[in-house]
Amino acid sequence: MSRQQRLWPVHVVLAVGAAAMVAPFFWQLLTSLQTFGEATSVPPTFVPGWHWSNYAEVFRSTPFLAQFGNTVLITVVRVLTQLLFCSMAAYAFARMRFPGRDALFLVILSVLMVPGQLYLLPQYRMVMNLGLLNTLTGIVLPGMFSAFGTFMLRQFFLSLPRDIEEAARLDGAGPLRVFWSIVLPLARPGLISLGVLTVLWSWNDLLWPLVVTSDADRMPLSVGLATLQGEHVTDYPVLMAGSLLASLPMIVMFIAAQRRITEGIAFTGSK
Amino acid sequence: MIRRVSALLCAGLLVAGVAGCSSDSTPSGQDGKAAGPVTLTYGIWDANQQPAMQKIVDAFQVAHPDIRVSIQLTPSADYWTKLQTAAASGSAPDVFWMSSTRIGLYADQGQLLPLSDRPGFDSGKFAKALNDIYTLGGKQYGMPKDYDTIGLWYNKKLFDAAGVKYPDASWTWQDVIDASQKLTDPAKGVWGIASPSWTQENLYNTIHQAGGHVISADRKTSGLADPASVEGLRYALDFVTKYKTSPTAQQMTDTDPSQLFASGKVAMFTDGDWDTLTYKNAPGLVADVAPLPAGPKGRATVVNGLGNVIYAKTKHAAAAWEFVKFLGGREANEIQASTGTVIPAYEGLADTWVKSTPQFNLQIFVDELQNAVPYPVSKNTSAWSKDTQALLDKVWAGQQDLDSAAAQMAATMNAALAKE
Amino acid sequence: MATIEATPAAAPAAAGPRPRRSRAGGHPREWVWGYLMVLPLLAGLGVFYLWPIAQSVYFSFTEWGAFGGQRWVGTANYRDFLSDPELPKAAWNTLRYSLLVLLAVPLSVVLAALLNQVRDRHVALYRTLYFLPVVSMPAAVAMVWRWLYNGDYGLINYLLSLVGVDGPHWVSDERFTVYAMAVVGVWASLGYNMIIFSAGLKSIPRHYYEAAAIDGAGRVRQFFAVTLPLLSPSIFFVSVLSVIGGLQMFDTVLMMLGKSNPALAGSKTVAYLFYEDAFLDNRQGMASAVAVVLMAVLLLLTAVQFRLQKKWVHYE
Repeated sequence: MSRQQRLWPVHVVLAVGAAAMVAPFFWQLLTSLQTFGEATSVPPTFVPGWHWSNYAEVFRSTPFLAQFGNTVLITVVRVLTQLLFCSMAAYAFARMRFPGRDALFLVILSVLMVPGQLYLLPQYRMVMNLGLLNTLTGIVLPGMFSAFGTFMLRQFFLSLPRDIEEAARLDGAGPLRVFWSIVLPLARPGLISLGVLTVLWSWNDLLWPLVVTSDADRMPLSVGLATLQGEHVTDYPVLMAGSLLASLPMIVMFIAAQRRITEGIAFTGSK
Repeated sequence: MIRRVSALLCAGLLVAGVAGCSSDSTPSGQDGKAAGPVTLTYGIWDANQQPAMQKIVDAFQVAHPDIRVSIQLTPSADYWTKLQTAAASGSAPDVFWMSSTRIGLYADQGQLLPLSDRPGFDSGKFAKALNDIYTLGGKQYGMPKDYDTIGLWYNKKLFDAAGVKYPDASWTWQDVIDASQKLTDPAKGVWGIASPSWTQENLYNTIHQAGGHVISADRKTSGLADPASVEGLRYALDFVTKYKTSPTAQQMTDTDPSQLFASGKVAMFTDGDWDTLTYKNAPGLVADVAPLPAGPKGRATVVNGLGNVIYAKTKHAAAAWEFVKFLGGREANEIQASTGTVIPAYEGLADTWVKSTPQFNLQIFVDELQNAVPYPVSKNTSAWSKDTQALLDKVWAGQQDLDSAAAQMAATMNAALAKE
Repeated sequence: MATIEATPAAAPAAAGPRPRRSRAGGHPREWVWGYLMVLPLLAGLGVFYLWPIAQSVYFSFTEWGAFGGQRWVGTANYRDFLSDPELPKAAWNTLRYSLLVLLAVPLSVVLAALLNQVRDRHVALYRTLYFLPVVSMPAAVAMVWRWLYNGDYGLINYLLSLVGVDGPHWVSDERFTVYAMAVVGVWASLGYNMIIFSAGLKSIPRHYYEAAAIDGAGRVRQFFAVTLPLLSPSIFFVSVLSVIGGLQMFDTVLMMLGKSNPALAGSKTVAYLFYEDAFLDNRQGMASAVAVVLMAVLLLLTAVQFRLQKKWVHYE
C-alpha cells in the first residue's frame, strides 16, 4: 500500500506524457471522420461526424490496395533476403577465421558511418540504367543488403555459447550444416529482432521509394501518402484517413509483437 | 497493320531526311506476324482527369485492338522532375501530357517527335493560338488537348447573407474591392476573397488587366518591373495587406484557398475551369462563376492548355502516333467535354462541355477567350519562373516590399532569358 | 538443401595439399566457407553502397546536362555550395534542429527512470503508448502534425487560445518552423530512447542503490550518483544517433512544410538542399558535393563525440 501511494506522482507524470504521445492519434481519428467544414469549425467540434466518405475518397484517389500489396511484398522480400545474407555473413564474421576478415568487417562498418545521401544518387542512376525505375525490384534491390543487420547479428552470434557448435563439428557436421541446423535455430531471437526492425523500417521507408517510383500503381503506401498530400493539399479529413490507414498495420504489428520489437531495439542500444 | 504503318512512316522519315528509323522498324520486323499487342504508356498528372482519360483509352483500344495503352499517373507536384530524369535515361512514357511552360525545353533538346511530319497530321480543328503553343521552328510537336481560362468563382450563400449583388460582366476591380469588404466577417471566420501569390489563377491576369506584361512579345525581356505590371500585382496584394479581406499567405499555406472557398470560408476566388468538378462536388457549396473583373486597362485572362506529345525515344512511334491522332480526334475530345472534365481543344465542342455542368455558368470560360492573352512562357520557362515565384511568395509573406521584389524579379528573369 | 549435401564433395578440393596454417589464419577449408558466406552480402554492399559512394565522390566534380551528359568541372560545385547564399541559413537550421532534438535525451532518461519504478503490467501499457509514434509512418506523422499546427483550425492553437495565447502559424512562418519540427522530432523519438534507457537501467545492479541508500542518499541523489553515471554509455549511444539523425533530417521539411510554402526558404536543412539539388533542380553534381560535405561533417562530429566521451562516459 505505502509503495503504491509513493508511486502516484510517478504515474501522474507518466500518464501526462502518455497522453501527449497519444493525443495526435486521437485527433487524427476524430478528424478523419469529419467533413472539412466540421474539421475547420471554430471552436473545434470534438464529436466525430462518422463521415466514412473520407476513407472512400482515399480509396478513390489512390490505388490504396495495390499500394498496400506493394508495401507488403517489398517488406517480405527485404526481410527474407536481409535475414539470409546478413546472417550468413554475420556468422562468418563471428565464428570463422579467414584472411582479411577484420578488414572486410571494417569495410562493412564504414558503410554504416556514411550518410545515405552519399549513395542515393548513384543507386538511383544504377536502378534507372537497369530499367528498373517504377518496379518493385528496383525498390527492393538496395535494401536487400544491410550493413546494420550484419553488424547486429554478428554481435548476437558472439553472445551465443560455442560449445554446441563445437560438439556438432566434432560429430563431423560441415560448416553450412552447423550454421543452418544448429546456429540459426539458436539465433532465433536475434533473427526475429532484426526481422521485426526491418519490417518497421521497410514499411515506413520514404525517400528511396519516393525517388524511384512515379507511377501511382507501383508505389508503396508511404509514397502513396505523399501523393495523397500532393493532390488533396490541405483537405485534412482525407489526409488523416489516409495516414491512419497507412500507419495502422504497423501499429497492430507493434501491439502484437511488442516484446520482440523492444528487445530488438534494446539490443541495438547495448551492442 | 502496325508494320505497314511503320514502313510507311520510315519512307516518310527518309523523305524528310530524318534518321533513326531503325529503332522502330526492327522490332516489328523481327516479331513479324507473331507480334503481340504493342503496349504504350501514357503519362498524365491529374487524378481528376484519369476517369476521362481511361474512357478515351478504352475507346481507342476498341478501334485498335493491336495497341494497348496503360495510363501512368504521376502526381503533378513531381511530374516534371520525374519526367525529366526518365527522359534523361531514355525511359519516359511513349505519349505524355505537355504544357506550354515546358514545350520549349523538351522540343529544343530533341526529346519530342515532331508531329507535323507524320502522315495524316491535321491541326485544322484547333485554334491557331493553341497550335502555336506547340510549334517551334516551323514544326508542331504537340497535339492540343484542352485549354483553360480563369473566372471569378463566388459563393452565392455568402453573397446573399451579406446582401451583395452577384458579380457579372460589368464588374471592375473597384467592385471586387467593395464586395470583398462587405463580405468579410471576421466573427464568422469569413473572408471576402482569397488572393494568393499564385500566378496563373491570379497575378498573371491582374498584371494584364492593369496593362502590364510578364514577358515581351519577342520573349527576350521581362515586363515584371513595368509600372503597370506592378500596379496589377499591387491590386492583388492589397486584399491581403491593405484591405485585409483575404487570408494571409501563411493562412493560405496552412489551408489551401480553393479548400477555403469550397468550404464556404471565402466568398470570392479567381480560379481556372479545371476546378469545376471540385466545386461541383463540394458538400454544401452553392457557387457560380463570373468573368474576371475589368482592370484599368480592361479585361484580360491568361489562356493556357495542355497538349499530347510523343517521346522521341519511343520504341513504338507508329502506334504512339495512332494514339495521339486519336487523342486529337473528335471522339476523344467529346469524352473530355461530356464528362465535364476540361474544355476540349477541338473546335465546336465547348458547348458540350458547358452543358455538362448546368449549375455553373461555364460559358464565361469560353467567352473569355476574346480577352485572352497567352500564358507567358519562354524557351526555358522554369529557369526563371521558380525564382520569380519565390520572390512573389516573399512579398505575400510580408518579408519584402513589392517594388524591390519586382525589380529583382525582372533582373533574375532577364538574366535567365539572356542565357536562352 | 542441395548445397548442404554438396559439402563433403566440395571439401577435399578446398582442403587441398596446403600446409597447415597457424591458429589465427584458420583451416583452409574454413577460409573457403568464410569467403563464400560473406560473398553475397559483400557483393551486394559493394555494388549498391561502396561503388555508389565512390561514384558520388566522382560526381561531385562534374556538372550534368538537363537530359544527361556529364562534364568535369573540378571543385566548382564545392565552391558554389560553400558560397551558396542559402547555406548559412540551412546550416544554422540543421544545427538548431539537431540540438533541439537532443533535448529528447534527458527527457527520456527521466521518463525511463520513472518507468523503472512502476509494476510490469503498467510498464507494458506505458511502453505501448510511448512507442506508438516510433512505429507510425513518418510521412503520416508529418501530416498529422501539420494539421495540429494549422494556424487557424489546428488543435494546438485552439488549446493555446484557451489560456489566452494567440498561437502563430507554426508551419508557415519561418520564425517557428524549426521549433515546430523539433517538437515532432522529440515526440517521435522519446519511445525509442526510453526503450534503450530502460534496458540500460535494468542492467544496473540493485546493490548499488542499496549501498547508496545506506549512505543516506534519497531518490534524487541516487539518480545523480548511481543512475546517470551507470547509464552514461547508453546516453552516449543515443546522443550520437540523435545528432547523426538530426543532421540528416529532410523528410519532415518535405512532408510537413511542403514544396510551396513561404516559410520553406527559411526552413531548409542541409539534407533538404541535397534533396532539392538531386531530385528537384536536376543539379546532381552539386547534390553530390553537398553529400560529400555532409559526410565529412558527420565523421568529424562523430570523432569529436568519441573523444569527448572519455570525459564523461563511465564504462565498467
